[in-house]
Amino acid sequence: MTDPSGVAVSEFSTPPAGEVREGGQDRQEARSLWSDAWRELRRNPLFWISVVLIVVLLTMAVAPQLFTSTDPRYGDLAVARQPPSAEHVFGTTSQGYDVYARVIHGARASILVGVLTSIGTVVVGGLIGLISGFYGGWLDALLSRVGEIFFAIPLLLAGILTFYLFPPDLEDPLILQVLTVVGVLVLFGWPSLARLMRGAVLQVKPNDYVNAARALGASAPRLIFQHILPNAVAPMIVVATLNLGTYIAVEATLAFLGIGLRSPAISWGIDISLASSIGLVRAAPHMLIFPSIFLTVTILAFIMLGDAIRDAIDPKLK
Amino acid sequence: MRARSRAMVAALFTSVALVATACGGNGGDGGNTGEEPQAPGAAGGEITINGCTPENPLVPGNTSEVCGGNVLDAITAKLIHYDPDTTEPQMDIAESIETEDNQNFTVTLKQGYLFHDGTEVKAQNFVNAWNYTAAAENGQTASYFYSPIEGYEATQCAEGDCEANPAETNELSGLAVVDDYTFTIRTTEKVSNLPVRLGYTAFAPLPDIFFDDQAAYEADPVGAGPFQVESLSSTEMVLTKFADYAGEFPASVDKATFRIYQDPAAAYADVVANNLDVIDQIPTDNLIGDQYQADLPDRNAQRETGGLRWWTYSPADEQLADNPDLRKAISMAVDRQAIVETVLSNSATPATGWVSPAVDGFMPDVCGEACTFDAAAAKALYDQAGGYEGTLTYTSNTDGAGNQQIGEAICNQISNNLGLDCQFQGVVDFATFNEGIDNDEYKGIFRSGWQMDYPSIENFLAPIYAEGADSNWSDYANPEFQQLLVDAAAAEAGDASNQLYQQAEQVLAEDFPTAPFTYAKATMGWSDRVTNVKITAFGTPDLASIQVIQ
Repeated sequence: MTDPSGVAVSEFSTPPAGEVREGGQDRQEARSLWSDAWRELRRNPLFWISVVLIVVLLTMAVAPQLFTSTDPRYGDLAVARQPPSAEHVFGTTSQGYDVYARVIHGARASILVGVLTSIGTVVVGGLIGLISGFYGGWLDALLSRVGEIFFAIPLLLAGILTFYLFPPDLEDPLILQVLTVVGVLVLFGWPSLARLMRGAVLQVKPNDYVNAARALGASAPRLIFQHILPNAVAPMIVVATLNLGTYIAVEATLAFLGIGLRSPAISWGIDISLASSIGLVRAAPHMLIFPSIFLTVTILAFIMLGDAIRDAIDPKLK
Repeated sequence: MRARSRAMVAALFTSVALVATACGGNGGDGGNTGEEPQAPGAAGGEITINGCTPENPLVPGNTSEVCGGNVLDAITAKLIHYDPDTTEPQMDIAESIETEDNQNFTVTLKQGYLFHDGTEVKAQNFVNAWNYTAAAENGQTASYFYSPIEGYEATQCAEGDCEANPAETNELSGLAVVDDYTFTIRTTEKVSNLPVRLGYTAFAPLPDIFFDDQAAYEADPVGAGPFQVESLSSTEMVLTKFADYAGEFPASVDKATFRIYQDPAAAYADVVANNLDVIDQIPTDNLIGDQYQADLPDRNAQRETGGLRWWTYSPADEQLADNPDLRKAISMAVDRQAIVETVLSNSATPATGWVSPAVDGFMPDVCGEACTFDAAAAKALYDQAGGYEGTLTYTSNTDGAGNQQIGEAICNQISNNLGLDCQFQGVVDFATFNEGIDNDEYKGIFRSGWQMDYPSIENFLAPIYAEGADSNWSDYANPEFQQLLVDAAAAEAGDASNQLYQQAEQVLAEDFPTAPFTYAKATMGWSDRVTNVKITAFGTPDLASIQVIQ
């Protein structure tokens, strides 16, 4: 329960705060932390800007038909590579596709990758960090060392290597392609969150209320989920939100390199990749500019949200 | 043969012309070079040209890529030299090549033709070189070029494994030295165009030093061409004019340096800035909107080369297999001109037949209506032919530059104009793609391409449509067509045999196993220091013709 709510903060911002606040009725520390954070957030304009942007982008991802009725896969060579006009507000591509329609439809792949990867790393990294922090000993040593192995490989390099060695099947539907990319990013992205979680757990574990619960005979799962997790999850939420933007950027980079998501899947990374040879930039800059703007704005929105949440939660900044 | 031909198809679509021609000469006029008028040049001077790192040491029989091929072209001489403008075969080392029956050929060499090391080119140099290249044991990539010669089978190893099954012999029984300046060739079947084939680099003679000390040869390759190697390094390959060159196609400049670039965009920028004299392939993105013409005014040229793109109707697709009208309707629904102008940025021209205009025997408009875009007529014919059930797929490998863009454009045209659902289906790489074709995995249509081995109409028909040929991807088999090929190979070389080949091509137009798409073009640019830059029909620059403006 705690994990999904953690991610919900990054997406919708309001409900989890309320949820945790309700859940925190009987826990003094939790209530003050989350309600403080919420009060802080509400006053931050950066937070509202990013929320508005993210809501718009999510709508785009869920229901692109609301924004455009043009088929992003309808290519008409008669209008190929045209600059923006009333009919094609963002211009057209070399195949005569409408850039605006493609940008709108491209949001789905990028946001799916970002959100799913964040959720994945939070679940995997959080769980492993929790276990190694709580139990310690040889399990901690083992999990930490395994984590360090993956930690040592840069995310992008890992993605390039994996997709070069095991290229995705082009016949797969979009969701399967997305899940493959997500899987690779999670596989190599979880250690940073696991470390963070482990540190937070180690900080919370010696607290008196944990010892009190233990003395009263609470079981390990109850200790973990009732007392330790709610108090250790905050830094992870912040980092996961910040990382979300990074994951979108990595996906775009992979698509730009011609690996990862592939056409006929529509994604900003693919379109940027197709539009970015120097001669094409000179001849039809709009093909590159519009998907790039959307990609930048999306990454910015998630990073701003992460920043705002960090400002609200981090006690040192108060 | 298979590996080689298919490797070439791959190369065509990475905009690399593989087969290269000899150098030299002041060719006849015209051709279809489309050159701008140029300032007069003079002999002498030095030039630089963009190069790339050869895959193998510069051995003529083992170089099938353009990086080594361009250099070998300049340093080797062959029996035949192709005119850079007209591609007409001209005698080079050969004094004459005579035959009475298209099966027994007598080659007489010119006397006094020298290798760079001062030794004379003799008949034995040819026979030794050819035996070496043909024998499977030596693993030369151009071995299959010798397959028409008698005794070729005996030089090959069973199952391609020379360790376990050594070949019977390492010598072609069809070759025999008569005297120092004469040798004979006997072919297995009648081959009217054999002389035309002999201008390819794989048929170059090898000097004695190659057989005495191959390492020494590889360090300092020796040929009989207009240029000789001065130095080879990982950054540049320097050639100088061969002072004792005895042939009729001498070099104009004193020194030519192939400067190795990793990125063609950098080479292009250097040509624009006059830091490099010649770029043999303008990067495709600079072709968009004819930018290169603005960047390099009066110092660019484009020419149709011996390459052809088409799509094959999968023989494994029952709906297409017995329905030529449906195949023609699909072909008619594709606006080749629009794709050429937008997706290909005029780096090709719409095809109107199955043979490249770069070869002797080309006949325009063989395909006729079926290759002429007409949406309404296509739709009518499509309905009349019964239509296509389900999704039509266009399959192509996606590792070659632009393959996917071309495939998507073709599919969009078919979908938009016929109202059927056409989907592009990408295959990760060329090897997988070929395997899929061999195993009949792909329904619908799939990409095909060809870069000619030698400038002959035959090269576009026999290897691709003869029954059981290695590159017969459409599984085409028609006795009438087959008979015409046999007759043409037996007919007198030139018009008589070309006419029979043209008749064979017309049979293809009836049966329509494949749909011609575009003819390849090469685009080059040069600095304002040089002039008389010619593009050969193989898409390579003719190094010997280039002159420095003084």
